Amino acid sequence: MRNVDVIIVGASLAAAAAAKRLTDAGLETIILERKELPRHKICSGILSPRGHRFLLENFGPLPREVLHDPTWCRGVTFHFPSMVSMSLDFFGGSTPHLHRKYSDYWAIQRSGAEVHDQTSFVGLSEENDHIIVNARQHGEDIQYRARHVIGADGPSSPVIRAIYPDYPEQIPWFFVGQKFHGIIDCPLDHEYFHFFFNPNLGHYTWSHARDGQQIVGVGFKSGDNFDAKHKNVVRYLEEKHGVKLDPHTSHEGCAENFGPSLINRYVFGKGNVLITGQAAGFLNIIAEGMSCALHSGAISGEAIVEARLRNRPVQEVYRKMIASEVRRTTDQWNPLKVAFGMPHEADFRAALMKLSWAERRLVVQDIWKFIVLYKEFKWGRQIVQSALGRLSNGSYTQQRWI
Amino acid sequence: MSASRSANAVITNAFGNNAAFTCRTLNLDIPVIDIGTFPADPVAANSLQGIKRQQTNPKRWNEPVWGEFVLALRVSDVEIIEQKFVSGTFATDAGGTAYGMPHGVVIAKDAAQISTLLQAAQQYKVPVTVRGGGLTTEGESVAFGGVLLDMTGMSRVLKIDAENLSVRTQAGIFWHSLAEALRRQNLDYLSAPLNMTSSVGGTLGVGGIDVNSARLGCSADQAIALQVVTPTGEIVECSDSENSELFQRVILGYGQFGVITEATLKVRPYTPLAMHYFYYTSLSEAIADLQMLDANDVSDYSGILTMMDKVVNLLVAFDSDQRETAFKTDWLHRLRGHGEFGIALKMALYYAVHPWRWREALFLRERKNTLFPEFRRPEHMRNGKVVDRTVVFSRAVWKHWGSRQMVIPDLATSPEKFIDTVQKANLVCKKYFPHYTLYCVGIKLRADHAPHYEMSCIPPDAVTHAYGCEFEPMMGDLNADAMYSRDTLQSFKNEIYDIGVAVGASYYRFGGMMKGYIRRVFGDAVVDKHLAMKRKADPNMILNRDVIF
Repeated sequence: MRNVDVIIVGASLAAAAAAKRLTDAGLETIILERKELPRHKICSGILSPRGHRFLLENFGPLPREVLHDPTWCRGVTFHFPSMVSMSLDFFGGSTPHLHRKYSDYWAIQRSGAEVHDQTSFVGLSEENDHIIVNARQHGEDIQYRARHVIGADGPSSPVIRAIYPDYPEQIPWFFVGQKFHGIIDCPLDHEYFHFFFNPNLGHYTWSHARDGQQIVGVGFKSGDNFDAKHKNVVRYLEEKHGVKLDPHTSHEGCAENFGPSLINRYVFGKGNVLITGQAAGFLNIIAEGMSCALHSGAISGEAIVEARLRNRPVQEVYRKMIASEVRRTTDQWNPLKVAFGMPHEADFRAALMKLSWAERRLVVQDIWKFIVLYKEFKWGRQIVQSALGRLSNGSYTQQRWI
Repeated sequence: MSASRSANAVITNAFGNNAAFTCRTLNLDIPVIDIGTFPADPVAANSLQGIKRQQTNPKRWNEPVWGEFVLALRVSDVEIIEQKFVSGTFATDAGGTAYGMPHGVVIAKDAAQISTLLQAAQQYKVPVTVRGGGLTTEGESVAFGGVLLDMTGMSRVLKIDAENLSVRTQAGIFWHSLAEALRRQNLDYLSAPLNMTSSVGGTLGVGGIDVNSARLGCSADQAIALQVVTPTGEIVECSDSENSELFQRVILGYGQFGVITEATLKVRPYTPLAMHYFYYTSLSEAIADLQMLDANDVSDYSGILTMMDKVVNLLVAFDSDQRETAFKTDWLHRLRGHGEFGIALKMALYYAVHPWRWREALFLRERKNTLFPEFRRPEHMRNGKVVDRTVVFSRAVWKHWGSRQMVIPDLATSPEKFIDTVQKANLVCKKYFPHYTLYCVGIKLRADHAPHYEMSCIPPDAVTHAYGCEFEPMMGDLNADAMYSRDTLQSFKNEIYDIGVAVGASYYRFGGMMKGYIRRVFGDAVVDKHLAMKRKADPNMILNRDVIF
């Protein structure tokens, strides 16, 4: 049985960041990845500027191979059903359009940790001050013994299920799918990520250019029909925005745990098992999860290093240190922060002010109609409570974290 | 360069068998970057505007040549410690935001040993990171692989010349040990950093600011002569008159141009000092008064220590009764600060009308109660004078300012820009931390040392004096409630440093994790000039690789 300091489950950006912190401090770290690396990953790949800076400062300049074409994204364009559109440029210039298959692999390699791919996490058990991790590698059972485990294994996290078997039933699940189309004519500016605030299309509807094709994506509550939803969006884009596309050549989709960042209901683990990245619930507005995955992943690694140095329980250290990332992420959904602060990496208010009074009214109405779509999840009271708590205490309460 | 490699590693599976595990590397074109240069960014020309595309949290050096290098060292009788538990004690520095594991540690013995080490390091291209007290805050003394050279092995005072007021010492000595040796002959150093467990060599490499620097300059300016081992392994004596070019580069050179092994420093007769404290509620008033005292050479020691921006303490001290009397008759009435009673009354009134700030009031009161006695502990006082400022300051400051983790971004400006700069940075402190302190002090510059100051903590536009301010969050002790992610601390530092870029300041600690700021603040021309000199002096860029370039 391999005896190491830390096992990280998942070979994503969060894992790379955590591994970097751990290996730098001399802790022996193994990353377990279910698939064969480099592995495909469903993602828009539009990284926020803050995430870009993290990559540069921790892993070095990005190689061309880790980017799609176009290699950059200038900002986000919001489209409203009233046919008002507004473009927001990212602060500090364009950001990378990551090819997740290669960017993650590059970051993992640069982290310096040992990687065991084609190794699936099966379960874990505590044994004194250690954790036994059971996995399957090439069809055979394999065990690891580690002081700490980091679950950086995405929204439907097997590590979370191992420690909180009933967690998946507690949160609403969404399906997010995208299809790739050849372009006949696309007036949507290829330098921007396009988001549609339209409750009739889905809970999350977007489109952007990639490698000569156009992505049309839609997210909705699990259970609905992807093909029907997608067809509806394509029809809408053609009718309202003049987007003419070939039938799709390929498609992909995955389950998403949208919600925990909005209502400050993160999962950070138990004992010596830490949960990080999107598994913990981190998701920026416009559903960008990579920059908070990088930062929260790094914090999970730092927390283990600090806990060992200070001889403190790792959960306590992690929860104290992660507060900054919780603030940054949940602020993006906090109505008070959105109205009076500047929580995003683009200036929504300035873009709004460029519109006429009539257009502004339409935008606000449309956003409200869009928010109403989420009524069934009953997040409203929790969002208001979090926002007021943030106002009075300067931070989000840790009571709601799992 | 296209890196297409495939290596087989063997791991043991659950059944105790050895299963071949393949670590594949695909054809990712991971660029090999020449140190100090920046590749074109494939993302877009306008991405991350103004931020240099630099890895500030370095990748660990890890080359197979290490084994051969160690053998070569052993043959030459240089002892190198490879045990992980030894390397582990050097994994981070006082800043605690950068971590790195050296492959091996060499404890410095003498110049010849260091020369052998550096020659071998050049031959095998192994990075060598030099560490004194490890009091860097940005990972400058953290080895990201390669050799860590622990200079504390060279810590003897070699010769005290009481007649000519100089001392020759090995450079790995801590300032407090040097002070102890000097005191036996009734001598004192000129100026030393407040944290006395920094090494003499490390301090000469970056600056060293004391509360008498407004009068005597920074510690680095007290050096008369140095013995330096150059990155290629030559042992050279240098001073203003001998090998002056090397002397200029090594002083305030951030360890780029050689390892300082011995130093001759100016010293002075020891004097007890008479201390005065004045309290302000306005930062700008306190700084203006400090600058007035410095400009007129009124006091022997002067500086500002604050508790947030609420109670600003201007410290004024004297070596002689004559100067103290002159101050009392000519200058005392011009100072706008209050005495202890005055400030207590003023603060009581302030909090009476701002009752919702009661927590802050309690904090200040508690600080006052713990801190004031520290400065006048009876064992350090004789006839109302402080007899051991070395102990008083280093003890009190490092016990009550900041925390175990040193997070001290700073700004150094010309006197004219100073008040405005400190006020801007004070707002940043407020935004990030409930409790923090500031430490402001003037630094007298030597006109003949202008070449030393290029690309250093001395701002380029300062002529006779520079001013420095450190911003230190109080993060509490080991078990404190507040624990901050490195991202929080780094964001705080970035915001302070951004002010420096905007106003054209310099910094005391701009290397390591903050090296992205070097080109932004000094400009490409100056940095490239120093890079060219570095490449010439250190062809394989082995010495303190991740500090500046």
